[in-house]
Amino acid sequence: MAITEEPPLELEAGDPLPEYAEQPLGVLTRPSGNTGIASWLFTVDHKRIGIMYGVFAMFFFLIGGLEALAIRIQLAVPGNDFLSAETYNQVFTTHGVTMIFLVIMPLAAAFANYLIPLQIGARDVAFPRMNALSLWVWFFGGLFLCSSVIIGGWWENAPDGGWFNYAPNHGVAFSPSKGIDFYAIGLQITGIGSLVSAVNLIVTCLNMRAKGMTLFRMPVLTWMLLITQFLLLFAVPVITVALFFLMFDRLYDANFFNPDAGSDPLLWQHLFWIFGHPEVYILILPSFGIISEVIPVFSRKPIFGYKVMVFSGIAIGFMGWGVWAHHMFVSGLGPISVTAFSMSTMLIAVPTGVKIFNWLATMLGGRLKFNTAMLFAVGVVSMFTIGGLSGVTHAVAPADTQQTDTYYIVAHFHYVIFGGALLGIFAGFYFWWPKAFGYKLNERWGKWNFWLQIVGFNLTFGPMHILGLQGMSRRIDTYSEGFGFELWNLVASVGAFVIFLGVLIFVINIFVSQRQAKHLPPVGPDPWDARGLEWMTASPTPEHNFDEEIEVQQVDEFWFRKYDIDDDGTVHRIATGDEVAQPGTATGVHLPAPSYWPMVLAAGLPFIGYGLIYNLWLCVLGGLLVAAGSFGWVFEPADDPDAHHGGHDDHGDHDDDPDTDPEAAAALDAPEGADDVAIESEEAPVG
Amino acid sequence: MRRLRLPAALLSVVAFVAGCADDAELDTLKPEGEYSEQIDNLIDPIFIVAFLVFFLILGLTLFMWAKYRVTEYEEGDWPEQVHGKTSWEIGWTFIPFAIMAAIGAFTWILLSDLNATEANALPIQTAEGEVMWDPHVVVVGQQWWWEYRYYFDADKLEELDDANGNPAKDLPPADIVTAGQLVMPIGEEVELTITSRDVIHSHWIPALNGKRDAVPGRFSPWKIQANDPGLYFGQCTEFCGLSHSRMRMQAVALTPEDFQEWVTAQLADAETPPGAEAWLEAYRAADGSEVEAPEATGAQRGLVAFTQNCASCHLVQGVNDLTYDGATQVSGAAPNLTHFASRTTLAGGILDLYNPDGTLNRNNLESWLRNPEAIKANAAPERGMPNLGLSEETIDDLVDYLETLGPRPSDEMIAATQVD
Amino acid sequence: MVDSEVLDEQAVEAADASHSAKVGDHQPGSTGISNQKLAMWAFLGSECLLFGGLISGYLLYRNNNQDGPAAAEIFDIPFTSVSSFVLLMSSLTMVLALSAITRGDHPRTRLWILTTALLGAVFIGGQVYEFTSFYREGLGYTTSPFSSAFFTLTGFHGVHVSMGIVMLMSLYFSSVRGKLKTENAETVEIVGLYWHFVDVVWIFIFTVVYLMAKGI
Repeated sequence: MAITEEPPLELEAGDPLPEYAEQPLGVLTRPSGNTGIASWLFTVDHKRIGIMYGVFAMFFFLIGGLEALAIRIQLAVPGNDFLSAETYNQVFTTHGVTMIFLVIMPLAAAFANYLIPLQIGARDVAFPRMNALSLWVWFFGGLFLCSSVIIGGWWENAPDGGWFNYAPNHGVAFSPSKGIDFYAIGLQITGIGSLVSAVNLIVTCLNMRAKGMTLFRMPVLTWMLLITQFLLLFAVPVITVALFFLMFDRLYDANFFNPDAGSDPLLWQHLFWIFGHPEVYILILPSFGIISEVIPVFSRKPIFGYKVMVFSGIAIGFMGWGVWAHHMFVSGLGPISVTAFSMSTMLIAVPTGVKIFNWLATMLGGRLKFNTAMLFAVGVVSMFTIGGLSGVTHAVAPADTQQTDTYYIVAHFHYVIFGGALLGIFAGFYFWWPKAFGYKLNERWGKWNFWLQIVGFNLTFGPMHILGLQGMSRRIDTYSEGFGFELWNLVASVGAFVIFLGVLIFVINIFVSQRQAKHLPPVGPDPWDARGLEWMTASPTPEHNFDEEIEVQQVDEFWFRKYDIDDDGTVHRIATGDEVAQPGTATGVHLPAPSYWPMVLAAGLPFIGYGLIYNLWLCVLGGLLVAAGSFGWVFEPADDPDAHHGGHDDHGDHDDDPDTDPEAAAALDAPEGADDVAIESEEAPVG
Repeated sequence: MRRLRLPAALLSVVAFVAGCADDAELDTLKPEGEYSEQIDNLIDPIFIVAFLVFFLILGLTLFMWAKYRVTEYEEGDWPEQVHGKTSWEIGWTFIPFAIMAAIGAFTWILLSDLNATEANALPIQTAEGEVMWDPHVVVVGQQWWWEYRYYFDADKLEELDDANGNPAKDLPPADIVTAGQLVMPIGEEVELTITSRDVIHSHWIPALNGKRDAVPGRFSPWKIQANDPGLYFGQCTEFCGLSHSRMRMQAVALTPEDFQEWVTAQLADAETPPGAEAWLEAYRAADGSEVEAPEATGAQRGLVAFTQNCASCHLVQGVNDLTYDGATQVSGAAPNLTHFASRTTLAGGILDLYNPDGTLNRNNLESWLRNPEAIKANAAPERGMPNLGLSEETIDDLVDYLETLGPRPSDEMIAATQVD
Repeated sequence: MVDSEVLDEQAVEAADASHSAKVGDHQPGSTGISNQKLAMWAFLGSECLLFGGLISGYLLYRNNNQDGPAAAEIFDIPFTSVSSFVLLMSSLTMVLALSAITRGDHPRTRLWILTTALLGAVFIGGQVYEFTSFYREGLGYTTSPFSSAFFTLTGFHGVHVSMGIVMLMSLYFSSVRGKLKTENAETVEIVGLYWHFVDVVWIFIFTVVYLMAKGI
């Protein structure tokens, strides 16, 4: 908090908890201080939450990456026995689940949390404590999922049904280990996190915008993230239903997916892919948003066709709901559904193509500066194009009958998710790193990072197109000699290590750059001469974001405060970024106070999960934690009236307690007069 | 940006490499039947269009890299601030749309072709005389092998759907039941009805047509056709558990004459090793009369060992058909061994049954009987063949007996197989 | 989206008058709706898909009773109609509660909130009774795809009603303690949104599950 007058509460390493101010409310004191571990664990600051999303996701990225390497070692040569069939099935399942739910989605969430409030000129998200809750629910859910690898033996109990986990192979009869229980419950937990976060960010985007920041003045990234949140809002409950059914099938012998009891295994496929296809856009749209911010800055031109970019994103969001059955072209749907879904899938290529051409048109005639962020962004344009085009080839349903479930599909979706989503996220890292941490990442290391990653990526996944067309099935733990698979598998395996090296260099770059930054001048608020509001405050972003509210008059407001365009189209500078940006030194800004309760509540959920799998008594423990978290939350005013108030207290005109939820009206204990009605609680997480 | 050419180079060799590899038996771009040719004819031009679009975009990117890149920004060096150009945007909305519409139209046409079936009549001599057969095979997947059932009486097919629970576990008795190899006449449209006894599998012979999932509780129609006699490789392509990678199959396309010969042989009961007839009769009658088990030849001892060790799961028509009541497996089925030695592979299409010189591959068969789990990971005994702990003598005898379950396949077929 | 933009413009204009130039001064928000109410709407949107999925699952299996009892054999339409009526009436009392608190009539607010919760509880009681009697007639949770889908769908709805009752009781007790003031009327409105949603879902369930089974 920007309270310079108050001495910060310093934490000694190893000190379990900071000192807490006594609270009149009594129940428990609340955390305070803005340094030390505790200030991160209990923070409700959207920027710290965003950074933690990123750090935790990179931790899971390491796990998922090692799993990928294990897969590539196993497949490097025919007939390999580096992994047994049993282990291999678990490894590719956890690789998929980890990369999708614990890496790409949270990395996008990292950007969403950090940037949405900044880009719309808000102080924080609409519900800061719910924001902390979504982080911890997701993180504990992720740990719960990963724990399946260790619990009950090393690679004994991990899910082994693939991330798609088709019925009835996911039933107890075919997967008797506890792995798929972990999958079903773990994804429900992370789903709660996604849902809470989606509600929160939707309200933030719609309701917390700065003055004049109309929807069609929001940056493209915020737009794409908003669409992503809507997709999550509607897709998560669908997979939740499927996971409920699965859990009831496995734990209580229900009959949702058991063909021996007369049920239809395709129900799972429909529910899964009604979630699963919007999920693809959940993964890719944030990256589209990121590069829509990066490319204009390093082309020195505004984004080409802002509204078309936004509308094509919206169109993708809508059409993404009408294409799910293209994952099921060979599962025995009738010819009419296959034809319809084939057509709708081809249609969705149109708005995607529009985006690609708009990015190219943004670059056309610009001043292109190929630094690392720009290289990654242009990498997305090229690599995603390959993924998109191979996608068109299997939208052609008859061709898909030859391609589906082969390595051609593996190549396709890695070009989309790695070449599209992940490269975009790396572009974002390089671009916003100075904003978040106050120093730029080193360009020389960055270029090594980019080139190793792009070369390794193409070495790994390029040959998979060939392997797939040669007829190599997906999800096979080994293959025989004599089908022509040997060469390209070896190439792919070598490529995987090159990718690993590239990512390693990224990690090294963080530390190298941090060290070098000590000898460099501060980057200032606007190191790239950029366009969005997030650059209009100090770097790293002060805790209160902006000293005072920005009044927005157009898209790229910040840029237009720096530059003016003559009638003949020439641009001149009217101010520097440093002059326009706010210094970030305001004091006494009223901010939501940290809280234990989101973490306590979230910590209960994995225990409920373990309880359902192993021993119901653990559910009682988990239930108590959830109850304690909820009650603590309810009795705790969202704003702490006593903590962190500096010289002048702006309490009076500040009754925008962001976290308010009906249920809690109940226990509401207004901390002080009626002007600060702090009502809050969470819906007890459903299910 | 130079290195961005790499993926392009890689991609451009896709069709070339995939199309030319000599030993790529699963190659999707080497069609050998009418339907796979239709698919190939549709997708090849689409690949070309896709390559053109990719090169266009890559080319534009490289062009801009070459033309517009700067190393450092100079103050005041700003290009024209273009916010958009409606005509361009309409252009690149409409042109992709038009391309997609064209692809969509061809897709639509081919889809209706591939889903249509015609009524054919192939004369087949059966025990009851000649029947007109509309070539049709019921394909049943289970962990981790394929069963092929032939019904020469079309009325039987009507009964398929008639059960509570999973109907694939209660199929009407078929004229011919075989495993691992789908034998079919060339030139004919062979309709498939695909289902599964346990989890979802996918039946795929790339040279003859695309794939179709075997979904338990459903009977999915599909069709294949082969232009020339030969052996066409396939692989289960829907992840189906532990040994998904070891669930393979072959389509064996025969001339109509050879096919008739095959049918005639398959319709017969299994041969009894000479000298074991009396014992077998007593075994079948199970009337308590004591007939001493014949021990003169390995095949005789093997028959006895079969009834003791294998008959609870495997059926040999003419031996244990009177008492056989399905296998004690989750799927309720194990491969029918009546004419085991007339196939060229075993263990779900992954091991050769014959050496290239035409002799029985005793080594493969013995190691399979010795410890199947070492060759094919499974969850025996519920799913997959268990290790029965057979003695070496018993294994020898069983191999001798299994070899008698012919007739032996043709030398061409043996030469064409050689899968491991 | 377009609608909210219009709202948004209006909000900006409205804000102009009283704007205090402080970041975060967003009440009632760029859309003119409070954060809390907007969040509830978003949450209910998500819930639509949750029940959509559950109802689809039920529709797939509604005639798939295998050897177990069929829907038409066991449903007791008159009984369920009465309990449905009770639940629908609770929406009325919920509205009365909101109207009372808007007027500042706190005793009435408490009365109507309590009545709403009570009606909800009666509905839940009816569901428990119904489940028990179905179970006695041989419709267990694992009997058939139909039974699993039926119990899961209606059970989930029951859990939602129960959570609504918890919310209502929280409102009641905070009102008793004098914490639910007239200016908190929106809290009652937001709980009401949830409650009405759960009622509307029941109308769908009653139609799809009960009436369609009897061919009414």
